[in-house]
Amino acid sequence: MDKTKGTIGTREFIAIIILTIGTKLADDTPSLFFSSMGSAAWMAPIIIGVTTILPVFFILKIFAIYPNKTFVEIIKEVFGKYVGFFVLFALWIFQIYALIIDSSIYTDIMGTMYFNDTPTIVIYAVLISVAAYGAKKGFEHISSYAWIIIAGVKVTALTVLVLIVLQGRPEFIFPLFGTGKWEIIKGSTSYISIFADLFYFAFIASYLKSTKVLKKGMWIGLAFITIEISTAIMSYVMLFDFNGIKLIDYPYHESIRTIQLGFIRNTESLFFPFWLIATFARFSFYFYISVLLFSTLFKISQKEFIIPILATLIVFFGMIPETPTFAIYTLRGEFLKLVTPVFLFLPFVIWVLAKLKGGSINDKKKAAE
Amino acid sequence: MIKRKQLSKLSCLFLMLIFLSGCWDQLAIDERAYAVAIGLDKGEEENQIKITFLITNPELSRSEGGQGSNEPPREIITFQTNDLISAKDMANTVIAKQVTYTQLGYLLVSEELAKDKNFVRLMYDVAKEPEIKRGVRLIVTKEEASQFLEKTQPKLETRVHKFFELILEYGIRTGYIPDTDINKYFRITEAKGSIFLGIYATTEKDTSDNRKGEDNFIAGEFNAEGQTNNSEFAGSAVFKEGRMLGTLTSEETRLTILLNDTLNSGHMLTTFPDPFDREHQVVTRLVKKRNNEVKINLNGDNPTIDITIPLYVEVLSNHSMINYAVDSKKRKILKNDIEERITTKFDNLIKKTQKEFKGEPFGWSLDVRKQFPTIPAYEKYNWGEKYPDLQVNVSVNINFGQFGKQSEVPALEGSGD
Repeated sequence: MDKTKGTIGTREFIAIIILTIGTKLADDTPSLFFSSMGSAAWMAPIIIGVTTILPVFFILKIFAIYPNKTFVEIIKEVFGKYVGFFVLFALWIFQIYALIIDSSIYTDIMGTMYFNDTPTIVIYAVLISVAAYGAKKGFEHISSYAWIIIAGVKVTALTVLVLIVLQGRPEFIFPLFGTGKWEIIKGSTSYISIFADLFYFAFIASYLKSTKVLKKGMWIGLAFITIEISTAIMSYVMLFDFNGIKLIDYPYHESIRTIQLGFIRNTESLFFPFWLIATFARFSFYFYISVLLFSTLFKISQKEFIIPILATLIVFFGMIPETPTFAIYTLRGEFLKLVTPVFLFLPFVIWVLAKLKGGSINDKKKAAE
Repeated sequence: MIKRKQLSKLSCLFLMLIFLSGCWDQLAIDERAYAVAIGLDKGEEENQIKITFLITNPELSRSEGGQGSNEPPREIITFQTNDLISAKDMANTVIAKQVTYTQLGYLLVSEELAKDKNFVRLMYDVAKEPEIKRGVRLIVTKEEASQFLEKTQPKLETRVHKFFELILEYGIRTGYIPDTDINKYFRITEAKGSIFLGIYATTEKDTSDNRKGEDNFIAGEFNAEGQTNNSEFAGSAVFKEGRMLGTLTSEETRLTILLNDTLNSGHMLTTFPDPFDREHQVVTRLVKKRNNEVKINLNGDNPTIDITIPLYVEVLSNHSMINYAVDSKKRKILKNDIEERITTKFDNLIKKTQKEFKGEPFGWSLDVRKQFPTIPAYEKYNWGEKYPDLQVNVSVNINFGQFGKQSEVPALEGSGD
């Protein structure tokens, strides 16, 4: 945390953005849109992506005002000591909550789709311990891991996409406007927060080589995930039709077990491992952010020691809900709706406050000295 | 020192291999009984089913190489159960290994059960069971599925799953059976108003001579003689709202495949009477190289669908010995004659679906839904109810290809030339 400039380049940064948010196409996120938007669900990521331009724009603006500060320092500066603490604490709560419910969903996916006989706690513990190990290694390691695996993950995802499109029917995306234009706007804007992870990437801005990397990474990452998730959702509709897709909990996993690769029948065993390593990258990053926020909040200098405690807590909290497929799905949906306004307006508020406090002048003065 | 560090790192890597075994879900492939086909019949009591497992012997592929055990290639068990899922455990009462569905490729259902009103409930077991894939093919058998599986004893394909795979693959290629799977069954059932086609099969010979034409028959009517397997796959079972209504013959299935762009059509060898010599037949190969042109007009009092089917026809042989290759006028007459014949057949089939099944197996709902901007508008229109009264105009557009390997034939005495 004491370093102001790190070593992470654009490609690693883009890779981790794509893996953290892009992996959402393969969990229950698409299901959020299918029930309310039907065949037009693919429009949701595009609307969300376009709306997300605003918060990302302000995040980048903030860093233009304080180029040499970490995001934590910026928040503390613009909000003052006490409000700043409260904002960071709220952000930490959101992050840890997201981590708990998302990891619970992923455990459920592995449990119901692949490992039927393995106890949930074992799957959960393995998942979280890998994530914890990644978090312990630090962000540099996580991002280089992301860069190493991204090619494999995306090539397999592309293969799946091509197979789905070949074996599905493009006509299924009609009627074009799904349940209606108003429903599309309503359905997608409530879930803008599925891209909220972009906001948390601001916390690791100080590890990047320069603010240029941040800028480039954010824009390219945003464009990529928007297109990626939208195409994925469209392909699920092509395979199952809008009636069928509503009934399916995890479209990606149902797709990879439906498609056939020539004579190979059980194709999911080819694609599942890549999904798994992408999942590890995602949760390592989530875990890392939680640890980072927690340690700065409570001024813990040795971050390594809180990792096992947090890991244990996450597993226990994540195990609480009964029938996670439904319980977590509802919890997650409501949570995403709740976070949406925060994600939309917080960057703007910080930017306005930063402008008012005249941070740029102070910084420039310091730089001049 | 560095060496020891590397060694410990390496040993850690090997320790990771333990995780690859899959914890509690580890599979020992020789301790599993692979059900490649499941047969479902009506049970003795209401809401009960009789389930049949066709379990293949994976060791056999090894023994084909020469040395090996003398174990039979397959095992069949039938028992009463409540559903597909709990049957896996019940099977263990007689089978030593654990039954698994991971290699399941075919679901056979007796016609009696498929026509039962509770059949849909049973099918959703398939959607819920994680081991069953949606690519499983649905086969309806005329007799009980258990009997069908017992009597299916392929002569040359000792590995029974290979037999199913091949016979269905070539059946689909020739168009005698439709190319369908469970995913399609669910999709069409959920969409309402359209018709799903399953594969129709039987081992019972129908000697009553119902066969309507050379390639117009249904499984059981083919009556092959000789020393071969008894099971026949031909025609399709018609499902509406998840329940079986009736059957289509092999010719009707072929026509449906030509009308439906979502079904893959292969090469269909078929015959037509020669327009110059009605006693003899023209042997042709029909290929559909392009998609149909579908024009839909839903406005007004008389909603219509206009369909143009592009067909590529190769005349492979004609017993009338007419030299079509040299006479373009005769070719034209032949073309018109075939077009007319196919169009009449299409019209009859469409009337049958409108009257008998009150639904279409042609996938036109996909074209219809393009006409509506939103799902509520499309659902309000209720395509399934509108279809029986719809005016459908079919026209066939034939393009002649080659006329056999040798295009000309000698003039015979008494031939039409």
